[in-house]
Amino acid sequence: MRKPPVRRLIALFAFLTFGLTGIVLRLAVLQVRDASAYAELAERQRVREIDLAARRGSILDRDRQPLAMSLDSRDVYADPTLVTDLPGTASILAQTLHLKERDVEDALRHPSSPSFVYIDRQVDLGVAERIEKMGLPGVESLPSSRRVYPNGPLASQVLGFVNVDGEGGDGLELQYEKALAGRPGQRILERDPNGHIIPQGVSHDHPPVPGSSVVTTIDKELQYRAQTALRDAVRGNRAKGGSLIVMDPRNGDVLAMATYPWFDPNHYSDYPQEAYRSLPITAVYEPGSVNKVITAAGAIEENVIPLTKTLDVPDTWQVSDHLFHDAHEHPPTQMTLADIISQSSNIGTIRIASMLGPDRLYDYLTKFGLGRKTGIGYPGEVDGILRPRNEWYGTDMGTIPVGQGVAATPLQMATVYATIANGGVWVRPRLVQGIVDPDGSYHAAEPSMRRRVISRRTDETLTRILAYAVEAGTGTLAQVPGYWVAGKTGTALIPDPQGGYYAGRYVASFIGFLPASRPRLVIAAILDQPVTEYGGIASAPLFQQVARYAIARLRIPSAPKPPTPPHAIPYEP
Amino acid sequence: MLMVLGLVALNALLAQASFKIDDLQQRVDELSQAYDQRSYDAARLASPERIWQAAHDIGLVPPAGGIQVLHVPGVGKGKGTAHGAVGGSP
Repeated sequence: MRKPPVRRLIALFAFLTFGLTGIVLRLAVLQVRDASAYAELAERQRVREIDLAARRGSILDRDRQPLAMSLDSRDVYADPTLVTDLPGTASILAQTLHLKERDVEDALRHPSSPSFVYIDRQVDLGVAERIEKMGLPGVESLPSSRRVYPNGPLASQVLGFVNVDGEGGDGLELQYEKALAGRPGQRILERDPNGHIIPQGVSHDHPPVPGSSVVTTIDKELQYRAQTALRDAVRGNRAKGGSLIVMDPRNGDVLAMATYPWFDPNHYSDYPQEAYRSLPITAVYEPGSVNKVITAAGAIEENVIPLTKTLDVPDTWQVSDHLFHDAHEHPPTQMTLADIISQSSNIGTIRIASMLGPDRLYDYLTKFGLGRKTGIGYPGEVDGILRPRNEWYGTDMGTIPVGQGVAATPLQMATVYATIANGGVWVRPRLVQGIVDPDGSYHAAEPSMRRRVISRRTDETLTRILAYAVEAGTGTLAQVPGYWVAGKTGTALIPDPQGGYYAGRYVASFIGFLPASRPRLVIAAILDQPVTEYGGIASAPLFQQVARYAIARLRIPSAPKPPTPPHAIPYEP
Repeated sequence: MLMVLGLVALNALLAQASFKIDDLQQRVDELSQAYDQRSYDAARLASPERIWQAAHDIGLVPPAGGIQVLHVPGVGKGKGTAHGAVGGSP
């Protein structure tokens, strides 16, 4: 019998020992040293992190009716590397999503990144479900939300819009982005290869925090009537556009604010960007004769001219090196302050302004809020243009008292009249009255800042004059049956950027309040370049139409007639 | 052996519960989406434009004459004072 080969056995033993040691060492590396890394890798394969979008808050009118809300939707995307039949897929997607086939094919051929391209965003859930059921290779969808405006273009420039990334693009949607957006959440789950949740697996939920809702001061019904009346007035007077504001002078609440042309925020990308602008806040115009109330307010407050005193008013007047004219030729006429304002005499106003003096005039213009933002907080609000007193030219005392050479937003001018309607106290206008948290708790906005501008006595006198302007002056077409209205017309020249003013182009306005002796409503009606030219003809009827609806809507009772102010021009009621 | 069977049964129950949670979550999502859609539909139906159009279609028109709101003491909120019909128009 042969003896076992000792050397071979030793070699085999050494080989096995070496091999086993290697396996043990490798096991030690895998199970001890790298255990946590591999466990993490395995967990990453099973654990899914799902971003949970926060629901955007709604925007509501003053009666908590929705003006803007959000609906769930899907973003349809494709991984072009996984698409097997590119032309066929493009054709099906284009047909289902109502897109152009060429656009979809282009997107698939030239994706923004190699393995990802959006085909369509904010797609209706039903449509997205149909696409998912088709099982097109490489085509998937992600949860998203769609902003909808159930009233279409109602208050569109006030609300603004939300872009495809779900961010506020303009208006209140932009101003209150932080409150409306909420905070996104995350869901962490352990799922099996079929996508089912593994019991006792990893599971963490960080729910999203929904956005708060914004309660505006807008009255939906009044806004609609204001918009349609504005549209009809623009068309009827063949104007280029128009602005309208309805305010409660007691608290600064903007009940309606409109710009025409407007846009539909549901399809905002179909409109030019200019249509997004809320002109009453973001655009300035030379206010013209509606600015004469500031000159008159200063003159009354400073006792420059007694109410009974008459001035000799010719139809031309020299100021510095410029000869100023009244709107119409007339012989020298004896006029009281009430006559000057009610007949909207430029020369009479210029004469009173010269008695007041430029320093005091400038002081009253700034006290009434010209030359600086109202502070409403709306994106893009502008200051207006009121040059510092030390930069005034000699002719400015001929233009600024009658509202030329100075520029204001329609909102600033509406606020001037709201001050007179509010007993001489300026109140900051506001578009938002509060915020509703997702849990339903309501946080009222701070009351609007207020400051006294003129005394109550001056204010009462000014109201009598403005009521007389509607009763017997240039504003008769603003009269509302059964109510006494106070207000002023304006027919302002439009400045030419090359210098001077355009011939025959006017901004026609009427701003007023009612009932004159117990005001509940201020309405500013402004038309851009109407063929009818004059504020008293083009804009006063618009004021009247909106006022009549607002009286019924807000149940405003009538109030006694303010006493007629002394006047030298005969008037028989 | 019993312990093993018990564990298997427990895991089966947990897996079943997991499927049920999945289904219920999906149902919650569907109902929530349906509620939102109904709210949107209701808001659209209540839009002033639609209501004015509907009123117009059945022949309703805004009142042509003057509108006068009267506050009578002791009626409504009780804050108002009586203002009889104002004689004439300004």
